[in-house]
Amino acid sequence: MPSWRPYRLPEPGPVSSLLTRVKSKMSIFAHRKARGMLDGEYGSVFKGRSLDFDDLRAYLPGDEVRDIDWKASARHGSPLIKRYVAVRRQTVLLVTDTGRNMAASSLGGEPKTDVAVMALGVVGYLAHRHGDVVGLVCGDETSSRSLPAKAGEAHLERLLREVNDSTALTSPRSSIGEQLSYVARNFGQRMLLFVVADELVPDAGMERLLRRLRAQHEVLWLTVRDAQLAGAQTAALTADRFDVADAGLLPGRLSASDAVIRAYTAAQEQRDAARESVLRRLGIAHVQAGSSHDVMPAVFTLLERHRRGK
Amino acid sequence: MELIFWWMIPAALLLGAGTYWLARIRERGRQTTLRPVAHGNRLTELPEYQAAVRRHRRWLTVAAVAGGVLMAAAVVAAARPAERNTVSPEQRNRDIILCLDASGSMNSADAAVVEVFARLAQGFDGERIGLTVFDSSAVQVFPLTDDYDFVQEQLQAAKKAFDGAPGSAGFLDGTWNGAGSSLIGDGLASCVQGFPATDGGGPAGGGGSQERSRSVVLATDNFVSGEPIFTLPEAAALAKKKVVRVYALNPGDFDYGTDPDQPGAELRAAAEGTGGAYYPLDSPDAVAEIIRKVQSTEATAFTAAPQAVVSDRAEIPLGIALVSGLVLAGATWRLRS
Repeated sequence: MPSWRPYRLPEPGPVSSLLTRVKSKMSIFAHRKARGMLDGEYGSVFKGRSLDFDDLRAYLPGDEVRDIDWKASARHGSPLIKRYVAVRRQTVLLVTDTGRNMAASSLGGEPKTDVAVMALGVVGYLAHRHGDVVGLVCGDETSSRSLPAKAGEAHLERLLREVNDSTALTSPRSSIGEQLSYVARNFGQRMLLFVVADELVPDAGMERLLRRLRAQHEVLWLTVRDAQLAGAQTAALTADRFDVADAGLLPGRLSASDAVIRAYTAAQEQRDAARESVLRRLGIAHVQAGSSHDVMPAVFTLLERHRRGK
Repeated sequence: MELIFWWMIPAALLLGAGTYWLARIRERGRQTTLRPVAHGNRLTELPEYQAAVRRHRRWLTVAAVAGGVLMAAAVVAAARPAERNTVSPEQRNRDIILCLDASGSMNSADAAVVEVFARLAQGFDGERIGLTVFDSSAVQVFPLTDDYDFVQEQLQAAKKAFDGAPGSAGFLDGTWNGAGSSLIGDGLASCVQGFPATDGGGPAGGGGSQERSRSVVLATDNFVSGEPIFTLPEAAALAKKKVVRVYALNPGDFDYGTDPDQPGAELRAAAEGTGGAYYPLDSPDAVAEIIRKVQSTEATAFTAAPQAVVSDRAEIPLGIALVSGLVLAGATWRLRS
């Protein structure tokens, strides 16, 4: 199976809606950036490479410099990349939260699930195109469940649908720690974990758990930004909202005062910095996305960071 | 205090309950249109936010209380709180002529009578009062009037004259023009003539549309010297014909025995014959008590039906409503800003 193929526009027909959405988004992104760049980035995620040389292809931005076949490039006149036959299919495990929190608003205003599904879809589709198998662990505070890693677009669609359909305001509370410890308990083989969660504030227990997972797996982390609860005056911010945790009303007028905005912004920066520093310390590549428009650049940055981080 | 539209209150309560119910339903509907957000506690746990909530809640409480009071006061005002008073006509539609014997022996009793009436006149409202003094001839000091300032002034002057204050002697001028002195019958007849004519006849006062009770307060010792034109019984008969009750005050009841010709007994017969009463007077201090008795006798004697007067007393609830409305406006302004 070739590891690289140009993006195609989403084909109409039996392909279900969620993956279609993901692919159209990727297509738009791919037009803006150089085509194939994402594939190059994704291909560099795994350290492991077989020694079975496959063929050469043109260098694409994002490819590892050490993969360049300098002799061939010199003969050819432009940089060429050595390609190897993958030894084994990698397993990508999508880990996400389908609790109540994810049904709440994201920074951009859409439900956080939509952003999460987009991010999971992009990475899942990249993996699919790379020939990897994709599994899913999702759940909430009360339970976690997994869908086995398989190949194919239909399977990927099923995973996305599972995430999309099981997230609602009536779901139990969120706790990404539950899903992470489920992964730690139940998966023995080495995998690529792609974690999508909302704004986590890691505590000591969470840090231990992440260190444990990091020792076994490659971990990529995408944070879906929560809706801002106090900030500069906009119509969206002064509107009344309610908290999904206890259905408590949050009158927008109350969070409009300067003192509240200052305090909230300071606390927000502190939380972001704490999350950033913990993940950095653990060597987990991390990006944030506020809306589904941010997902493509975010995933690109994430893969880039992960490659650099190695 | 009573409520004329008392059904306003249950109606308002029903309306209030209905509105509350509707508001609850709409509020529940609104919940679905609100934006759900996660990690609300990251905002609500901020001390600054909690202070803002407390402030907001305080003003909300003020607004709610003011609004509730405003509603309640408005409903009470709409229910027309009213005061129902029974006004007895004889208390208001009353004509009194003070008929005072100005002979020297009567001075202290006369002074007591005018003093009491000077005091009573302060509380009059609609009553008319007149003053006639007589000795051998009668002088109308002032006719029936409801100009109480004038009445007051004249009664004070009369009191001074009866007390023998210097410079007041002229007050009694003209009471000695007749033959003899203390012509009681003539004096009473003059007093009775002081009431306006009753054209229609009968107990209902002809001239005015309103029936007015008529009474004469006659202070005399009934010691006649001379030849009156009217004897006392004749004058009493005239009074009876004109539906005037005579209340006689006698400071010198020195009757011997029970002979009806005795002056005291004669006066009693005359007074009681008109439906009035007779009071022997031991000392001038008793006058006030007797006048009070006369007033109450009058009240029971006069048979006109008491009139109920209903007056709206909306000023208290409306005042409360105004104040709470202002408070509500202030609180709303605070909540909006």
